[in-house]
Amino acid sequence: MQPFGKTCSRIVSTHLLFPRILILVAMLAAGGCFSASASADGDVSMREAAQRLAERVAGIPGLHGALRFEWHQAGEWSEGESKHWREMLRDEFEKRSLNLTEDGTAPAIEVFAVETPAQVVLTAKTRAADRDEIRIVAVARALLPPGSLAAPPVRLERRMIYESADRILDAASAGNGTEAGLAILLYRDFEIVALRVDLKGAVKQNVPLIAANLKPSRNPRAELTPRGGVISVELPGKACEFSWEFPADVKCHVEKPAAGDKPLWRGATVLTSPCDGSNWKLLNSGSEPNAREVLQVVPDGTSGQSNSAVLSEFPGPILDTNGEQNPGSALVITRNLRTGNYEIYKITLACGN
Amino acid sequence: MRFTKSRWLAATSATMAALACFGAPAATPRYGGTLHVKLRASSVSLDPREWTPGSLSTAAGEKLASLVYDRLVTLDDHARFQPALATEWSHDAAGRSWQFKLRPGVRFSDGTPLTPSDAVVSLQISLGKGFEVTAAENGVVIRSSRPAPDLLEQLASGRNFIIRWRPDGTLLGTGPFLVTESVAAAPSEANPAAIRPAKIKFQANDGAWSGRPFVDFVEVVLGEPALRQFLDLQVGRADIVEIAPDLVRKGRQEGLRIWNSAPQTLVALRFENALAALASDQLREALWLALDRDTMASVLLQKEAQPADSLLPQWLSGYAFLFESPMNLQRSRELRAAFPGGVQGANQPLRLRVDAPGDLFKLMGERVAVNARQANLLVQVALPAGGNNSPAPAIGLHLFAWHYDSLSPHAELEAFVKQMLDGTELPGNTTDPEQLFAQERRLLEERRILPLVLLPEYVGVRSNVHNWNASPWGDWRLADVWLDSEDPMTTQAPAGPPKNSSTARNPGARP
Repeated sequence: MQPFGKTCSRIVSTHLLFPRILILVAMLAAGGCFSASASADGDVSMREAAQRLAERVAGIPGLHGALRFEWHQAGEWSEGESKHWREMLRDEFEKRSLNLTEDGTAPAIEVFAVETPAQVVLTAKTRAADRDEIRIVAVARALLPPGSLAAPPVRLERRMIYESADRILDAASAGNGTEAGLAILLYRDFEIVALRVDLKGAVKQNVPLIAANLKPSRNPRAELTPRGGVISVELPGKACEFSWEFPADVKCHVEKPAAGDKPLWRGATVLTSPCDGSNWKLLNSGSEPNAREVLQVVPDGTSGQSNSAVLSEFPGPILDTNGEQNPGSALVITRNLRTGNYEIYKITLACGN
Repeated sequence: MRFTKSRWLAATSATMAALACFGAPAATPRYGGTLHVKLRASSVSLDPREWTPGSLSTAAGEKLASLVYDRLVTLDDHARFQPALATEWSHDAAGRSWQFKLRPGVRFSDGTPLTPSDAVVSLQISLGKGFEVTAAENGVVIRSSRPAPDLLEQLASGRNFIIRWRPDGTLLGTGPFLVTESVAAAPSEANPAAIRPAKIKFQANDGAWSGRPFVDFVEVVLGEPALRQFLDLQVGRADIVEIAPDLVRKGRQEGLRIWNSAPQTLVALRFENALAALASDQLREALWLALDRDTMASVLLQKEAQPADSLLPQWLSGYAFLFESPMNLQRSRELRAAFPGGVQGANQPLRLRVDAPGDLFKLMGERVAVNARQANLLVQVALPAGGNNSPAPAIGLHLFAWHYDSLSPHAELEAFVKQMLDGTELPGNTTDPEQLFAQERRLLEERRILPLVLLPEYVGVRSNVHNWNASPWGDWRLADVWLDSEDPMTTQAPAGPPKNSSTARNPGARP
């Protein structure tokens, strides 16, 4: 849940003042501020919170004998997150010689987990020496690992390939062979930044498009088109171009309004079925910010009401779609309402169900 | 112990999901138009120095102030602190010394640059004693007399705005809007018997560092009664209104878009400080046991409120479910029977004054009196001061509403105690949740404050308003909303962001 993309710059400069933590920063930077590091670091915070609670519980005077562990949660957590907490707490309790049992007649040690705007508050409640004993610890939610969303059943093959706390404006496949990966446009702290990301999701290059000299916007928009090693970026009223080879040489120019009826932005994304070569159009509204959205893949030439539409629910509004070199697949950008992160999914049209 | 899967969070989510289904999909945000907002508060101040902690008018003032001023940081809906006027921050291991780097290039609405000294002046006022704020190169340093691990929560909420106070009395901000017009309430020219409500008009700040808001103007009318607001929303004379709890059900039945926050307002009883020593422990305990909070929430407030057992709500403290306030009339009567003579509430009535505005709170006061009577306690709701010269009997009990302002449970409880319990200060470092719980338990066990119900904020949002994405703690985020073009109430405007306006405007906000 730590906003690694978003706070990457903040963490680096912040901790320059504290060399002791610089090592952690370096580790994060080496990981490209990517979610693998986030998860590991989040696990540490989670473990520390569990340890603190277990230590406090173990210090309760007169707490003896077997205890039945009961878990209550009030956060909107997935089963995976909840299970992770339970296992970690059990583990830490047992390390401190608290004898946990499944025996229903044993006195309970109840652990309650509540999400507040900034924290997860863990409360342990039990009885010892005829009195209620309560121990409470809190941990910053932003330090915890991202939740694993219970994925709804889908009929499109899809997988998440990148996530970032920074707003993702557009993404495209970067090429084949050694160059394979993604080119991504982010809106980070009111500037547009182009990323080159490898197949494992590690950030290989980071090119701020300062030359575009854009005004801050509440509705930032940009599209990129990779052509070999050269990236073209379309912005409102401007176009920029650069190559990964010479990232410092970003050239931007003001664009005249599109002539005739040439659209300024990309049109609907169309996939081609690998089974019969038929075309399928991606439909999404991307309208309101607070709803999970169902992507509809409908036979090209029909409306969203088609009976043969393939549906796939995403964990938030769909912000953009972009076709890939493989005509059967596309990239979908969404904002996960649970974590607040922006996510890129690769969807592929598969034969049958 | 009430530990339910956050009913209010669930309700909010459901409402939000429902909201998303309203209106036709329209992917491209539109710039332009005027957003019409109506509020119940009859007057508001945009100057945080004039705000009374916890008051409902302060809550309205804070809501409007966030249009004009920015804070150093914000908290997003996913528990992440986001840079606002500060781009970086760091602190020492104890959380006593914090350093913030200010965002470069930010300008106030009059075009002058934001400086570290602006932040120093603002934060020294808003954070108050216990904090020392000094300017540093490109930023500020905040030192606390005790560990302040919750400083970011504090800075992201409450009155911690960065403001420049000009000698002429106007206030400048760096926010997405600026005040262009402020009209006080006055007798109507057409009908002098009627009062023309106060109005504040905000204009989009084209140079806002955070990006120009979508709407051109936000027009706020103050002092609008609940029912009129409701009707105005129905007939399209308002885009955003406050919905009174007793109108929520009707609104839902009629298909209005109604959003609710997490519980924002505590309604509670407070024994008069001067009289608290006189009131016996048994009286306070007996009244506490006689109160039927469930009925207040479910009948009087039509299930649009939550019985309150604690001072801080669950969404803020995380431990409120540990408190219980079981109604026990039998025990209450036993305590009453054992009263010594001469105690108020036994032989002479305990006078209750309703300090919160509105009929709903008066009804709650009367309900308290009914509950007391069931336990043979005498509680009398005091009428407003009359014209006769006889001295009014002393007030023994107050019914008040407290609006939560801070995202720090420690800061909130501290402000509450200071305001409601005669300047009392919380001892020790209560940022530790276990210690904070112990402090709150001690306060509740004294029974000087008796929580009644928790009220969320209900907002009616017209279907032409898009991107309504208020935070669960009541930040409306009006700079992000946009309006349909097919709206007779709004001015037609092009779809793109307008060029810098040359319209003459007052860049300051006069409180």
